[in-house]
Amino acid sequence: MTEKREIPIHVPVLARVEGEGTLELRVRDGTIEELRLRIFEPPRMFEKLLEGRDYAEVPDMVARICGICPVAYQMSAVHAIESLFGAQPGPWVRDMRRLFYCGEWIQSHSLHIHMLAAPDFLGSASIVEMARGHAAEVRRGLKLQALGNDIIRLLGARSVHPVGARVGGFHRAPARAQADALREKLAAALPEAEALVRWTAALDLPADEQDFTAVSLRHPREYPMNEGRLVSSRGLDIAVSEFESRFVEHQEAHSTALHSLLDGQPYLVGPLARLNLNFDRLPSPVRTLADSLDVKFPSRNMYHSIVARALEIVVAMREAIRILEAYEEPVSAYVGVSPRAGAGYGCTEAPRGILWQRYDIDATGKIAAARIVPPTSQNQARMEADLRSSLQSLGTQQGEAALRRRGERVIRNYDPCISCATHFLDLRVRELKHG
Amino acid sequence: MADRLHIIGVGSPYGDDRLGWVAAERLRDCLRLNAEPGRIAISILDRPGAMLLTQWNETDEVIVIDAMRSGAAPGTWRRLAVEDLASSHPATSHGFGVAGALELARELGNLPRRLCVYVMEIDASWSGSGLSPAVTDAMSVLVHEVEAEIARRFILSPLTRMTGTA
Repeated sequence: MTEKREIPIHVPVLARVEGEGTLELRVRDGTIEELRLRIFEPPRMFEKLLEGRDYAEVPDMVARICGICPVAYQMSAVHAIESLFGAQPGPWVRDMRRLFYCGEWIQSHSLHIHMLAAPDFLGSASIVEMARGHAAEVRRGLKLQALGNDIIRLLGARSVHPVGARVGGFHRAPARAQADALREKLAAALPEAEALVRWTAALDLPADEQDFTAVSLRHPREYPMNEGRLVSSRGLDIAVSEFESRFVEHQEAHSTALHSLLDGQPYLVGPLARLNLNFDRLPSPVRTLADSLDVKFPSRNMYHSIVARALEIVVAMREAIRILEAYEEPVSAYVGVSPRAGAGYGCTEAPRGILWQRYDIDATGKIAAARIVPPTSQNQARMEADLRSSLQSLGTQQGEAALRRRGERVIRNYDPCISCATHFLDLRVRELKHG
Repeated sequence: MADRLHIIGVGSPYGDDRLGWVAAERLRDCLRLNAEPGRIAISILDRPGAMLLTQWNETDEVIVIDAMRSGAAPGTWRRLAVEDLASSHPATSHGFGVAGALELARELGNLPRRLCVYVMEIDASWSGSGLSPAVTDAMSVLVHEVEAEIARRFILSPLTRMTGTA
């Protein structure tokens, strides 16, 4: 006879609107038979909303997909549309887009490190508990996050759903005095960001080597943000426009999110994948800092993601300072573009990993079809594989509370949209026993 | 340092979740005629999480308006003081909500001088792009209540005192 025991556990802190997660386990005689991670994902809805809209509306619309990474959605969109239209916005716009992205990396990574990841490694239930023993670190995190928001506000007019970006460039250029003031603030805070790196590397991070395929952009000279080819740790090297030839999304019945596979296999995107594949593209002082740590890259330990994030904060701060030092007000903050019918492709490095977009546009500039592949859905298959192995090795006989804690900690390494909630997992264990 | 009142509408662009933004925008219109420049700030924030506590100084008075999911009837609103938030952890629709931010502010010694939160129940079944009918109907009452509180405890008393000592 088979005994079924179904134990739904609802975590009574509500998940955020832009994403919520449910983890379902089916366990038979101590072995995980099936593992399903459900994630609600808003980009799918936006793909439909974009149809029929004018190309010029796209940057403002996609900025609303995510409250944490609006810049990423905007940058992939403008690059996709400009690649189709043959627009060349020039070096000023290119620099400002990199600066814009630096702001988003700083704020998003700082949020993740302090709100979500660090409390796990310090044995704290939340950032509030962590603040009792680590107030200075929490203040430093909030300060860095605010600096990231300041950069976004400089170019986006506001840090919430920034409206500054447009196809062809930006709606307006910041004044030189604003740029100078921000550069000074960033330069003053740089030592704190470097201290953050050393602090994360000194945390008691679990040893957990895993085999995974890392995927990121790669640029000939720079640490990648807005430009580059798609590469992997297994030799992939393709243009952004060739994404669909190797990466295939499929719908799992249990989830609204699409699962994306590379040549049929799960893969990792995000800071650890990016750093693993682009360690040689770190600016020299950041490379020196990284080399001084006990944590070494490339790394196969997903828990080293927190160190990768901290290093990327330093990359972004140094890049922002460099760009602001050379800042000049332009004659125009954008170039004009002319619609052209066809398909345009864009891929940029969102804080959580590559964000790929495709727009099919008609000759009048109307969007015929849109496709948005966010990092969270690309990491989903990898997250499930990691969860299966981590929870199995923890032991399914552990109580639901222990399973949920471990599950949350594993998922947080990937910083999916759902991780915006401090606790998010609605864990359902279905246990089947032979009696 | 002069007292400052900061009204913060918290939300996201989705359906009723934007009710805090809508209320703050309406207050901006209402208060434009009455406000003393520089003393009343109105902000709209998208799920600020812990960053909420960087929005104020210790000398500020703060009113936060947020969406709530508690199981009450859509459009139901409540006014919560800091103490209520600390004890009851009301279920705002944002993961690290106002209660969490206030707890963190307390740990870091960064609470504003005075703070209250107005919350309104969303219609979780509503999938339209704007506000649900229930929240739309209740919005004017909420805005009126917040405006009355501002007039009662901030604009009238502190400003009068300040004028007298100027």
